[in-house]
Amino acid sequence: MVIESLGGDLFGTIPLGDIVLYLNPLHLFLFVTILLFTVLIAVSRTETQIEALFGSLEENEVKVGKKEFKQRRFLAIICGIATAGAMITGDLFNFTLFMALIGIVNIGIVSAVKQVSVLDSAYQYGLIAMMCGLPLFGGAAIILAATGTLSLFELQTLPLNAMVVFGALMMLVGVAGESGIAPFYASKAEMFRTPGSPFILIIHLSSLFIIVRFVEILLILIPVI
Amino acid sequence: MNLMADILINVIIAFLAGSLLLGLHRKVMARVQLRPGPPIVQYLLHSLKFFFKEVSFPKTASMPFYIGITVILAGIWVTGVIVGPVAKGSLMILFGIYAIFKIVEHNSGSSSGSPYGKLSCVRAVFSAAGELPLFAVIGLVFLKTGSMNIADVIAYQSAHGPLIMSIPLAAIMLFALILTKSPYSPFAITKGKDIVSGFETEHYGVLRGYIMFSESIAFYILLWLFLTLFFGPISVVGYVIGMILITIITGVINAITPMLNPNHSVMSQITIAIVCIAGTVLMLVA
Repeated sequence: MVIESLGGDLFGTIPLGDIVLYLNPLHLFLFVTILLFTVLIAVSRTETQIEALFGSLEENEVKVGKKEFKQRRFLAIICGIATAGAMITGDLFNFTLFMALIGIVNIGIVSAVKQVSVLDSAYQYGLIAMMCGLPLFGGAAIILAATGTLSLFELQTLPLNAMVVFGALMMLVGVAGESGIAPFYASKAEMFRTPGSPFILIIHLSSLFIIVRFVEILLILIPVI
Repeated sequence: MNLMADILINVIIAFLAGSLLLGLHRKVMARVQLRPGPPIVQYLLHSLKFFFKEVSFPKTASMPFYIGITVILAGIWVTGVIVGPVAKGSLMILFGIYAIFKIVEHNSGSSSGSPYGKLSCVRAVFSAAGELPLFAVIGLVFLKTGSMNIADVIAYQSAHGPLIMSIPLAAIMLFALILTKSPYSPFAITKGKDIVSGFETEHYGVLRGYIMFSESIAFYILLWLFLTLFFGPISVVGYVIGMILITIITGVINAITPMLNPNHSVMSQITIAIVCIAGTVLMLVA
């Protein structure tokens, strides 16, 4: 079975009609880790950035205000929960929804910051993420049209299909843009200069975990072996 | 053997072997640069020393995140030992561990409030593209062997011979990653001396001890992974010789190579990855 050769032996399945949730060591590891980080983020305060002022011996403290802190913490927790959901879902459409939600809250986490360079970066990332929403959902729709199902458990049993390969590649473009990985990472890097270390973590973590999970999904959709 | 004992023994071996290999790495670099260099056990003694030193916390740090991140770092590498040498489990989990390592690198830098840590954090975001070789290696090994499980890959090599003979370019890619993760590497932009010690700058005492403990295990796991994936089932002596040889080679390369600037570092790694991926796919198709 493809799923077992990718993430290890299955611990069990939860069949909910067409959607079959399944858990193996890979999903369990990713799920537990993301929840651990989310709890850590929820209980942490932000750091204070110290910047030396040019031409004097003074220094500037950059802090996160209480209102901004609460907004960003809320969005970071939502992002953590959405990423955890994406780690264990067995349904392709649910995965795309979680991915879109992660993209939106990532923009939200940095949009609360009142720094022009950071807002510019968030704006550019937002444009990329919105544009990549089309191939993301379009790819899932093409796979549904070609196979009649979005359950990964069902899809792994189907033979190689050109439309599924096309849909999977469209989804790859969508995930790359939504999560801001290479070649789109340059649009996102400036966002990380902002204060608010725990919240920035979840942006990076969600992107990398989504990629790990999507690699698994890609190999299920395209059974090249 | 009892599973818990197996895990404990493997973690201790990984820490001791990794520390000594990092000490050897530093010694080789020093000798190439015509310096006497520190003793080989220095890295190990240094790591142990930090566990007994006083801890101090920067006033600007993000608490308890600043502490938690180093504990998580140690935790993920213990998980790496369990997934790798103990269980010989999924390569995808090891890839996930490297992803978390990148996150920890990023956030232990930013959580202190130090500008040096922050610069390291931004560089960690850029250098995430440098993980491409590992991802590609895992993908290519899967294409060749039909499994992501390390035990299956070892069994495949028992039947068909070492993978280094059939997908050598993938081995070069993983070697590039080992080079990236080795100390004073031309690609180690997150710990460049231009930003003091990068993300480690503001972690003292037992927190630095956790970081050094993790670095030792990380180096050991990477070497173990390289030898296991490309040289098949080899004996303990084979592992020891292989690890020492790779450490010496990376030490010589790092001693004679200046650190690249962040953009050149990332583009060099991506170029190596693309060339090796294209070459390996062509070899597999042919």
